[in-house]
Amino acid sequence: MPLLQIKNVSKRFGGLRAVNDVSFGVERGEMTFMVGPNGAGKTTLFNLITGVFPIDSGTIIFDGQDISRITPDKAAKLGIGRTFQIMKPLRNLTVLENVMLGAFLHTSSSKVAERESAATLRFLQMEKVMHLPARGMGLPMLKRLEIARALATKPKLILLDEVVAGLPTSEALKLADLLKRLSEWGIAAVGGVEHVMPVVMKLADRVVVLDHGSKIAEGKPQDVVRLPEVIEAYLGPKYKEIIQ
Amino acid sequence: MEWVYGNLQVILDGLMTGALYALIGMGMALIFGVMRIVNFAHGAFLMMGMYVTFVLYDRLHLSPYIGFLVAGGLLFVFGFLTYLLVLRPLPGQESFMVILVTMGLSLILVDASQLIFGADYHQINIPLQSTNIHLGPHIAMNAPWLVSFGIAIAMGSAMYWFVMHTMFGRAARAVAQNRYSAPLMGINVNRVQAMAFGMGAAAAGIAGALLLPLLYVFPEVGNQYRLKSFVMVVLGGMGSIQGAAMAGLVLGVVESLTSYYWGNEWAPVVDFVIFILVLSFRPSGIFGSQRA
Amino acid sequence: MSGRKAQLIFSLAVVGLGLLVPIVIRTDYMLNIVFRVFLFAGLGLAWNWVGGYSGQLSLGHAAYFGLGAYGLAMFTNRGVPMWISVLLAVLAALLFAGIIGKVSFRLRGPYFALCTIAFAEVLRLTAKNLPNVTGGDVGIQVPLLFPHATQLSFYYSAVLLTVLGIGITYWLEKSKFGYYLMAIREDEDTALSVGVNTANQKLYALLLSAAITALGGALYGSLFLYIVPDQVLPLEISTELAIVAMLGGAGTLAGPIVGALILETASEVFKNFFKEANMLIYGVLIIVVVLFLPGGIVGTLKLKETPQKLDSESGRVTVDE
Repeated sequence: MPLLQIKNVSKRFGGLRAVNDVSFGVERGEMTFMVGPNGAGKTTLFNLITGVFPIDSGTIIFDGQDISRITPDKAAKLGIGRTFQIMKPLRNLTVLENVMLGAFLHTSSSKVAERESAATLRFLQMEKVMHLPARGMGLPMLKRLEIARALATKPKLILLDEVVAGLPTSEALKLADLLKRLSEWGIAAVGGVEHVMPVVMKLADRVVVLDHGSKIAEGKPQDVVRLPEVIEAYLGPKYKEIIQ
Repeated sequence: MEWVYGNLQVILDGLMTGALYALIGMGMALIFGVMRIVNFAHGAFLMMGMYVTFVLYDRLHLSPYIGFLVAGGLLFVFGFLTYLLVLRPLPGQESFMVILVTMGLSLILVDASQLIFGADYHQINIPLQSTNIHLGPHIAMNAPWLVSFGIAIAMGSAMYWFVMHTMFGRAARAVAQNRYSAPLMGINVNRVQAMAFGMGAAAAGIAGALLLPLLYVFPEVGNQYRLKSFVMVVLGGMGSIQGAAMAGLVLGVVESLTSYYWGNEWAPVVDFVIFILVLSFRPSGIFGSQRA
Repeated sequence: MSGRKAQLIFSLAVVGLGLLVPIVIRTDYMLNIVFRVFLFAGLGLAWNWVGGYSGQLSLGHAAYFGLGAYGLAMFTNRGVPMWISVLLAVLAALLFAGIIGKVSFRLRGPYFALCTIAFAEVLRLTAKNLPNVTGGDVGIQVPLLFPHATQLSFYYSAVLLTVLGIGITYWLEKSKFGYYLMAIREDEDTALSVGVNTANQKLYALLLSAAITALGGALYGSLFLYIVPDQVLPLEISTELAIVAMLGGAGTLAGPIVGALILETASEVFKNFFKEANMLIYGVLIIVVVLFLPGGIVGTLKLKETPQKLDSESGRVTVDE
């Protein structure tokens, strides 16, 4: 049984079909990437999974439980961690304190939370900035902070929304190496990515391609990338003819 | 039949009060709609309008029905300058900060009035006050109320027309919808906001002037209206001027009925209860259309 | 010098001095002023949990203050023993806090503050309009909590209230609850995403705050022996609580204490010096604080002391904005 099962999920905002009858599953320890141009529905799907918005139709099942009507805090308690595309660090707290927030999900002791957060930050190679206020951090560190905070909640599944967007390729690949370790720990991951194909190729066990809210392809990264529908979605119909 | 006429009178009285409320509320809605500013000095602006008109009548024997124009003009300038000097510098214009600053402003204005005019209650006596217009044997309307009602409706309509059909109005609505993209269309956001604030203040000042023949003027006279104006803005929905106007009329009638059946003292309570209920169940307002 | 421990030492030093004050100050008038300082310090500390740490800027705290005073008066008048009345008054405040919180916390931005104001006003006007129940505008008698050595007992009670406030705040700052509140203040969506039930946490903070505020109200009412609605339930009281915390520094431990020290003594000076213009000066003070000292005195001090460090990873200097 897949850890996360999305079945025929749809969501409309007024006249706009943000997500249209999308289905796919994520296995434990597997890394799936949702790939698609901006507006394809990736972030909306993340919001639907975590309950930021209610779904219009379909079901979402996580770890055997129907979470179609869940709220974000319950989703976190069930083991779904998440990073945000528009990053929201707690600016007036230190990096460590930011991560402690995630750690508190499983403990009431500040000491324990501090210890576990420090460990998570060490994994993400952020020891040097642990005690600095979050508001002074640059983009690469902020991206890692988002991940650290989500990891501190000890999730079974982590949703990474555009987690490498805006990073120079070298940074992105470094981060990808770290993220590879997630499956070693049995944490499943779903990433949402618009570009940065090198990272997708490197990390993804499977790829789901979205376009205008619908799923147009699914499979192993190297296979999916060559499909004409996918090329058309990204580059436009003209290029499909050229490549063919 | 007496019962019907009794209620009719109460409702008519309520509508007349409501028109004045509507004017005050429209001013507040304009300010809140364009700038998301919760103007706690709105009541003080009303008070200032009242005092200006009072002085004009007391010294120059100028009828308040002309004096209101002077009051409106002065309050417009005052509001304009207040916005530029006091409110614009506020970092981020965070709503709580704005509430406190306008509260402080209100304290300053009220106390200044007390220093200048004293804490006593003043009133004016115009000949019109003894005239009552009768609609049939059961309904009577006091002439000054009728005149103030008429002018309030006229001013409110003028305001609505202005916001809907002039360049300024369009600019103001653009800023209200999206403060950040408005400059991209060549809109001088600061000037529009200052003008909107001035207009809102003027509306309050005019309402004050129109109330002068009807009520006593004293430094704290505006306080009861400031919270009422928020109620209207919320009921009307997100800074909608028409919504606030409707809300004003409704509040006037509801208050009038409440006073009639339960006593004056419960009228403001009903205002706040309605306010809380609307915030709880329909925060987007009862009369408002979309976001202003 | 504005770290957590430093603030604690400062606060306890103020308390210590406060304990010694009655040796030097004998007149009732002066004692009254220091009473107000410590009462509002304690109340400001309580407001701080909701307004400072949680970022929920309530302008309706007079509701709990008034419920404390009126609760004590009304229950005692019906034959309930005095100190049980205090307890019941606090429970009444908790009940209202629950209602007010449930309704208000769903609102964002200015609507929240306005809603809290509305609730407090409903209470105030209801107190005025039900003379058979509350004495109306004529007022109601409040029992004397300390029949012996009255002024001093009230004064020390106020100091005790402040100590209580300090203790709770100090614990809060490093506890899970405190972290959750601060996260809610910074970004509610982020807090939700890590499993924080933000609605509940805000409510708990409000309940705690309301309880202490009600205690302060009961103390205040008892000192005056006679209260009217416009004395304990008006917007002015709510504003004073907020300003005390904000002037000193919302979200800091020593802030409300500094704020109360300055505001309560300054108010007294204003009243004597400026007489009729004292409200005007108060208004100017509010504007000055908000425009120039948004973090309050302690907040501004903290900001100036945050070390500037070089972020070795990204090469950016951490600079205060």
